[in-house]
Amino acid sequence: MSDYKVDLTNCDKEPIHIPGKVQAHGFLVAVDSKCIITYLSENISSFLPLKAKDLLGNDLKVLEQVLLPGETPGLINQMLQLGKHAKNFETINPYRIDVGNLSYNLIMSQIANFYMLEFEPTSSATEIDIQKTIGRSVTEMLSGKQLKHLLNNAAEQIKTLIGYDRVMIYKFSDDGHGEVVAEVKEDHLDPFLGLHYPASDIPKQARELYKINLTRIIADVNAEASPILTLPNNGEAHALDLTHSTLRAVSPIHIQYLKNMGVASSFSISLMYRDELWGLIACHNYSPRFINYKAREASKLIGQIISSALEFKQDEELLARSEDYKAAYDSLSRQLRKSGSVSSIITEQNSTILDVCDATGAVLVFEDQVIKLGQTPNDEQLKELNAWLKRNMQDRVFHTHQLPELHSQAKEYSDVASGLLACTLSKEMGELMMWFKPEQITTINWAGNPDKPAEIDEHGQLILSPRKSFDVWSQTVKNTSDRWTREEIATVLKLREDVVYAINRQANEIRTLNEKLKQAYEELDTFSFTISHDLRTPLSTIKNYSELLLESNTSLDDDARRILKKVIGGADKLNFLIKEVLNYSRVGRAEMEYTQIDMGKLLKDIKSDLVVALNVPNLEFSLGDTPPLLGDRTMIAQVFANLLNNAVKYSAKSNPPTVKVSGKEVNNEIVYEVSDNGVGIDLNYYNRIFDLFKRMDNVRTYEGTGVGLAIVKRIIEKHNARIWVESELGVGTIFYVAFRKSGNGSA
Amino acid sequence: MGAPDILYIEDNEDFIDVVERAIGQINGGKTKLHVIEDGTLALNTLDTLVENKVKPRLILIDLNLPGLSGLDLLRKIKETPALRYVPALIFSTSDNPVDIRTSLEYGANAFVTKPMGYNNVVKCLNSISDFWLNTISVA
Repeated sequence: MSDYKVDLTNCDKEPIHIPGKVQAHGFLVAVDSKCIITYLSENISSFLPLKAKDLLGNDLKVLEQVLLPGETPGLINQMLQLGKHAKNFETINPYRIDVGNLSYNLIMSQIANFYMLEFEPTSSATEIDIQKTIGRSVTEMLSGKQLKHLLNNAAEQIKTLIGYDRVMIYKFSDDGHGEVVAEVKEDHLDPFLGLHYPASDIPKQARELYKINLTRIIADVNAEASPILTLPNNGEAHALDLTHSTLRAVSPIHIQYLKNMGVASSFSISLMYRDELWGLIACHNYSPRFINYKAREASKLIGQIISSALEFKQDEELLARSEDYKAAYDSLSRQLRKSGSVSSIITEQNSTILDVCDATGAVLVFEDQVIKLGQTPNDEQLKELNAWLKRNMQDRVFHTHQLPELHSQAKEYSDVASGLLACTLSKEMGELMMWFKPEQITTINWAGNPDKPAEIDEHGQLILSPRKSFDVWSQTVKNTSDRWTREEIATVLKLREDVVYAINRQANEIRTLNEKLKQAYEELDTFSFTISHDLRTPLSTIKNYSELLLESNTSLDDDARRILKKVIGGADKLNFLIKEVLNYSRVGRAEMEYTQIDMGKLLKDIKSDLVVALNVPNLEFSLGDTPPLLGDRTMIAQVFANLLNNAVKYSAKSNPPTVKVSGKEVNNEIVYEVSDNGVGIDLNYYNRIFDLFKRMDNVRTYEGTGVGLAIVKRIIEKHNARIWVESELGVGTIFYVAFRKSGNGSA
Repeated sequence: MGAPDILYIEDNEDFIDVVERAIGQINGGKTKLHVIEDGTLALNTLDTLVENKVKPRLILIDLNLPGLSGLDLLRKIKETPALRYVPALIFSTSDNPVDIRTSLEYGANAFVTKPMGYNNVVKCLNSISDFWLNTISVA
C-alpha cells in the first residue's frame, strides 16, 4: 500500500472544458470560418438521417439541405455572420428549426475560429408564460428586506419556474467550501439546508466556468455522452474547446458525484457578487428533467436580478455594521487630534477602541499601563501574550482567528480570545493595542466526510472518486473565532496612525512644557537671588546707622537706646532670612561636584560651630559610626548643619539636651540618623515641615526662618537621596537621610 | 596730587559715609582714604597717579559700579604694569561663590564681603588695614 495521498486539488487539473463529448439530449456541429464542418457529435445520426462521416469536411450547406429544406441555402451562415458582427449571439439565440414532427432550438456561439451550432429539443418539462412568471417572481423576491428572505424567495421562485424537486442556494465562503443557505424542496426529501460542502466538491476550474456560463444544465446523468468527431489535420486532431457550449458533457467524477446523491438532472444558476462567484442556485431533480433554452434564460435572468440585489443587500448589511464602527473611529480620531491623554481618549470616552470593530475585548498597553476593556485575558496572560507578540510580530499589525493554534498558551483563554488583532504603537516599549474575538465553538455539518477518499483501481492506481455517502458528518471547530474583516484591519491601522500621531504630538508638548518649567525655575532662582542681594544694601544702611547712632551719641536716653537695639535686632533677623533665601535659591543654581566626603570630620566641625553659635553648654552630643557619603561637599555640609542646628535648637530646653548622629549601610544606601530629645513635631505637620517658610506652632518661640528644612529637602532631591522623619511631641525627633552608596544616582 | 593710602571705588553714598567714619576710627585716624564713585572716573584718577609716579597702597573696589564695572576696573588695574602689584580687593555685599571665584580669576588679591552693621565694618576695616597696610611688604 502506497503512502501517496491523492491531493484533492488534483481534480483541479482534469480538463473539463474539452471533454470531447456532448450530452446526449442534443447534438453539436462546429464549422470553421469558411463554413466547413470541422467537428460533429457522433449522435447526430440519432436525430437526423445523416452520417457523421458524410458531413465532416463538407460545407455547412449539406447539413442545411436536411435541416432547412425549404429555406435558401446559407441562412445559418448569414446568422453566424450577424452574430460575429454583433459580437454575440444573444439576440439570435435560439433559432427554432422544425424537422419533421420534431423541433430544435439552434444555439450558436463562437470559440476561437470556430462557430458552434448546438441543437437541443424545444420541448421542455416546463411550459410557462415566462414574461408573466418573471414579473411576478421579481416582485416576490425583492419584497424581502433581509438577504436571507431574498434568497428564500429566490429559491421559491426558481422552483416554481423549473419544477425541480430541490432548489438550494449555496454560498461559498473564503476558503471555497459551500453552505446551503436557502432551500425549497419536495416534502419527502431530506433537507440539505445548513449543510456544508467541501471546496473540492466544486473544483476551481468548475467555478471559472460558472462565472462564464451563468446557467448549466445536466439533463440526464445516466445518458451516455456522445463523442465529438473531427478530421485529423496533418495527422493531428485537436479537441474542440467547449467553454461556451451548452451541451458540454459532464466530468465523469461529477456524474458519479450526482449519481451517488441519487440525482438524475441538475441545473444551476450562478450568483455573482462584484464579479466573483458568490454562490449557486443548485437545482436537483431525482428523475430526468430537461428544461429548454427559454426556461434556462428566464432562470438566468432571475439569477442576475438576485446577483444585483445581492450586491445591494450585502452592501447594505455591511454598511450598516461598518457605519457604527466608522462613527466610533471618527469620534476617536477627532478626539485624538485635540489635546488630552491618549490613553484616556481611547479607553474612557463614550466611544472606545472596543467600538471600532466587531470585537468583544480590547486592551491598550501604554506607558506601563495595561487598560482592559470588555472580555480579555487576565493581566498575567496579557503579559505573556505581549511578550510572545514582541518576539513574533513582524509587521505593525497581526491578526488571527485561531490564536490558540499558533500560540499554545492561548488555549487557557481561548474562550475570550481565539481571535486576536494586534497593532503596535511602539515595538521597543512593548506598547500596543489588541482586540479580541471570542471562540466560536461551531459545529459544521458536512454533507458526508469532506475528505474525499481516494480509491485504488484495478491497476493499483490511486484514483479520485467522489463521496458515496452524504450522511451528515459533523465537525466541531474549536479555538477559532470569527474572522477579522479587511475593513476591521484597515480601521485599526488607521486608528494606529492617529494614536501614534497624538503620542508624538503630546511628547513634544510635554518636552516644551518641561523646557518652560525649567526656564521658569531658573528665572525664579535668579529673581530670588537678585532680590535678596538688592535687599541687603538698604538693610545694611539701616543697621549701620542704628549702630552708629548708638555708638557715637552719648546723649541718648535708655529708651532711645532700647528702640535702636530693636531696629538692629530686626535688621539682623531680616539679614538672616535673606541669607537663607539666598542659600535656598543657590541650591537650585549650583553645579554639583561629587566627592567622597569624610563625614566624621564634617560633623565634628558643624557641632563645634553650633555649640558656640547656639550657646548650649550642657549639650550631650554623641557621634556614632560615620561612613563616608558621596555628594557635593558644600551641600551635604548644609544638610547636616541644618539638621544638627534644628536638633540642638529644639532640644535646648530639655535636660540635658541630647543629640545623637550616626550612619550605617542599609541595602546599598548610607542612612544617617539625627536624633534629639526636643519638642518633637506634630504628626499632622509631617508633610509640610519641608515647605518653604513653614514653621510649626510649637516652635514659635524658637529662632528660625522656615527655610532650613526646605533647603535640606532641595539638596536631598538634587542628590536623588531620601529624607524622612519620626517624631513624637515632647519626646524627640529623628531625621533620616539615605544616600545611594555608589553612583550619583542622578538621571 | 599725593596718593591716598586707600583708593575706594564705591557708588553707595551711605556706605561711603559709613566707611569714611570707620576709617576715621582706626589707625588713630591717620589713614588717607580717597573715594571715587564711578568706574571710569577711577581709571582716570589712577592714570593720573601713575603719571605722577605715585600709587595708592590699597585699592578697594565694589562690584556694581556705574561707568566701568568693578571687574573690568580690576582687570585694567592688573593690566597696568605700574599698578599690577598694588593690592586690589573686591569689597562687595555679595557672598556668592561665583562672584568670589570670578573676582579671583580677574586678579583680585582678596574678596571681602561687606559686613552688616557699623561695628562689624569697623572690625573688618581694622583687620584689612592691619594686614594690607601694616603687615605685608609690597613691591
